[in-house]
Amino acid sequence: MHDWREFDQNPVSHSAAHHLVAIAELLDAYGYARVSDVARELGITRGSVSVTLKGLKGRGLVTEDERRFLGLSEDGERIARGVMAKKQVLKALFVDLLGVPDEQADLDTCKIEHLVSDETASRASRALLFLRSGAREAEAFTEALREFGRAGDPAGFPSEEVEELAREIAREGEEAEEER
Amino acid sequence: MSGSDPISREEALQRLNELYAEEIEAGLRYLHLSVSLKGLDRLMIRKVLLENMEETFEHAQQVGEKMMQLGASPSLSLQLELPAERADGRSALRTAVLFERAALDAYRELLERVDGGDDVVLEEFARAQVALESQHVAEIELLLED
Repeated sequence: MHDWREFDQNPVSHSAAHHLVAIAELLDAYGYARVSDVARELGITRGSVSVTLKGLKGRGLVTEDERRFLGLSEDGERIARGVMAKKQVLKALFVDLLGVPDEQADLDTCKIEHLVSDETASRASRALLFLRSGAREAEAFTEALREFGRAGDPAGFPSEEVEELAREIAREGEEAEEER
Repeated sequence: MSGSDPISREEALQRLNELYAEEIEAGLRYLHLSVSLKGLDRLMIRKVLLENMEETFEHAQQVGEKMMQLGASPSLSLQLELPAERADGRSALRTAVLFERAALDAYRELLERVDGGDDVVLEEFARAQVALESQHVAEIELLLED
């Protein structure tokens, strides 16, 4: 069964996550955030920001004072910090472990940063902590992986090799399911 | 991109281009709201929304023309998601007032930046647009009154 329905159960949409993160980043950088600042940060219109913020304010994630400066509620702050941390961890994992170019890793993590579960993000963080621990095994693993990767052909996806791998993984999954 | 320094041509053009996008997006939002109306409000509020749509597109045209007069040409890149939902009149107007206020704020900021500067034509344009947008917002707010 495909779990696409889980997308609808996410606490915030892609667009809403970007708004929360933009406010958090503006508050960090300048100490204030206004609708115009968020619009410029995201490269969208003020009208669009205002309409999205209406929903976020209604859900108690964003606040606005009488001078129309924006803030984040405790829940809004938690979601924004979570998305920001997930992005950093996943991007570093893509770059450090998989050797994905920085710009591509930035784009790809942008697509999933708000969708990845806390559990997966925690496990990705542990993997990254291990890789960056300086332990000999971690360095040897990273080096061996890079060597292995150099021999492959990254052009075109999926290659025959990858399709065969995908089939094998699926078979293993089915067998494990039957054993259970 | 603000402060007490005289406004540069680049900043003026950037602000005008932002306004161009605000107006066109607002026009599309008005159209979407007008067709998404449900109930008796379709009779009363749709006309208001469509009139506002026409005015908003006229404003976009004026902003674009202003950029052309300044030797540039407008560009447009919109990221617009309009949900599939049936709205009643009040809810549509409450949404409209949000993006109208946003446009008004943008014109006000432009006016603040050009006020007392060298470009009297741009200053008068900004002043006139602030007046028009203020009227727009006030009219919608009146409709929203109980």
